[in-house]
Amino acid sequence: MTHPQDLSLRDQAAGVASGELDPGEVLAATLARIEERDGQLRSVPSVFPEESQRMLAEAPRGPLHGVPIAVKDMFRLPWRGPRDGTPREQLPPGESAAYRRLKEAGAVVVGVTNMHFWGAGSTGHVSAYGPVGNPWDPSRCGGGSSGGSAAAVGARLVAGAVGVDGGGSIRLPAAYCGITGLKCTFGVVPLQGYTHEFASMDAAGPMCRDAADTRLLGETLAGRQLPASDGSALRVGIVREPFWTDLGPEVERASEEALENTGWTLQEVELDGAEHAQIAAVARLTLEALHTIDDEHLADADPIMRALVKYERLLPAELLVRADLIRAKLRRALAGLFQRCDVIAWPTVPAPAPPIEAPVVELPSGHYPADAANVRQSGFGNLAGIPGINVPVGLHSAGVPIGLQLQAGWGEEAVLLDAAEHVERVTERAYVDALPPLAGMPA
Amino acid sequence: MDSFELYVRNGLELRGIDVDDKDIAVMRAADAVYGPAIRSLMEADLGSAAPEIPLDPGSPPREAGEP
Repeated sequence: MTHPQDLSLRDQAAGVASGELDPGEVLAATLARIEERDGQLRSVPSVFPEESQRMLAEAPRGPLHGVPIAVKDMFRLPWRGPRDGTPREQLPPGESAAYRRLKEAGAVVVGVTNMHFWGAGSTGHVSAYGPVGNPWDPSRCGGGSSGGSAAAVGARLVAGAVGVDGGGSIRLPAAYCGITGLKCTFGVVPLQGYTHEFASMDAAGPMCRDAADTRLLGETLAGRQLPASDGSALRVGIVREPFWTDLGPEVERASEEALENTGWTLQEVELDGAEHAQIAAVARLTLEALHTIDDEHLADADPIMRALVKYERLLPAELLVRADLIRAKLRRALAGLFQRCDVIAWPTVPAPAPPIEAPVVELPSGHYPADAANVRQSGFGNLAGIPGINVPVGLHSAGVPIGLQLQAGWGEEAVLLDAAEHVERVTERAYVDALPPLAGMPA
Repeated sequence: MDSFELYVRNGLELRGIDVDDKDIAVMRAADAVYGPAIRSLMEADLGSAAPEIPLDPGSPPREAGEP
């Protein structure tokens, strides 16, 4: 008999709704699978057997009735305050908006997912709960900051997880782990009860195996329908500078091939100010969080993070003003661009998941910390506030996935899901259905 | 002591924040990665760039005069 976590999210939901699946058995099997498989990944540091049973007993007959979901450890739950990858609660227990939407849909929160310390990294290798491993190769990074959510979905521990993306933190780990991750438009998923509620860059979203599951969980989180349409005739903008430069050759090739095979109308476009997007995003991300870091927080951090906070405290105030001017410039340029294009496309990460022991990536121009290379591809979307999605499009010779990033105009999540489904069709679902070695283990 | 270390030590001392040699080494590495982009943005001609007020990251920018 098929393990329920080898079913898609939508098949789990349909099975429970039709009575073919017993939701109590689904929950028990999910908890058992996390126990069996998560040792090398450290993706779900806490599970909630009692609380999830209680949620199930009280669950309404919503679209996710009886379906287990994991939640990034940044949201208040009634029985647990979020920890943000640190050893201690950052907020008291309570009902976050994301939790409430899951509860109202009938979902069951089965556990919280591991994440990069403070959400301040794209590798997931720094966390009070151990480094997040990659289901394709547990010695490599699962990504960050929503790395636990990506790894748990990739390893078939759960079919759906909630992530948050402040500088790429849904899309980047989704690319590393070969799953579909949707960063929604800023504000579409309310961030009440979230540890970084103050942030102007952060947007929550669904992380699932494929676009159809992402649509289902996304509708719950967004609180509105994301209707499906034909994504085969899109106009796609290719912004070469800087997003298609200095890429790992296999990443570039797989991304190019995926786009060429879609039959979409591809057009080269330029975005004024894009050359400063990376540093503008880094400045916004770091400086708007600095006021929350006190001595107690610093004591929890490792020496490298403590030193980086000191560096950030010396950045000139003018840098933030300039970053915001770049943000305004990019947003205006994008508003014009989306009159001519439905989506824009470039590789989600420039190089695949690096080893946990040395989270450095090799690019044609040299070796770089993965964070610096990754945020160049992703921070742009957070500055702009637009939605973005990672779509798996290849497998690197290092044995880990390659992802293509698609971004659309404000509020156009459904277009991205249509586009992702079209990519899945033209790749014959080769990459969304690919099983990482860890998920190929007998149950 | 070069100008970077002088800036870091004096700046943090003014704020009452301790700094040691290991901190300096990490900050120097960070500056090697991000410093050129920071300086490029600090030197960019943004005289014609208008701020977006108010900023709503969840919506397209409003045109001037638009409510």
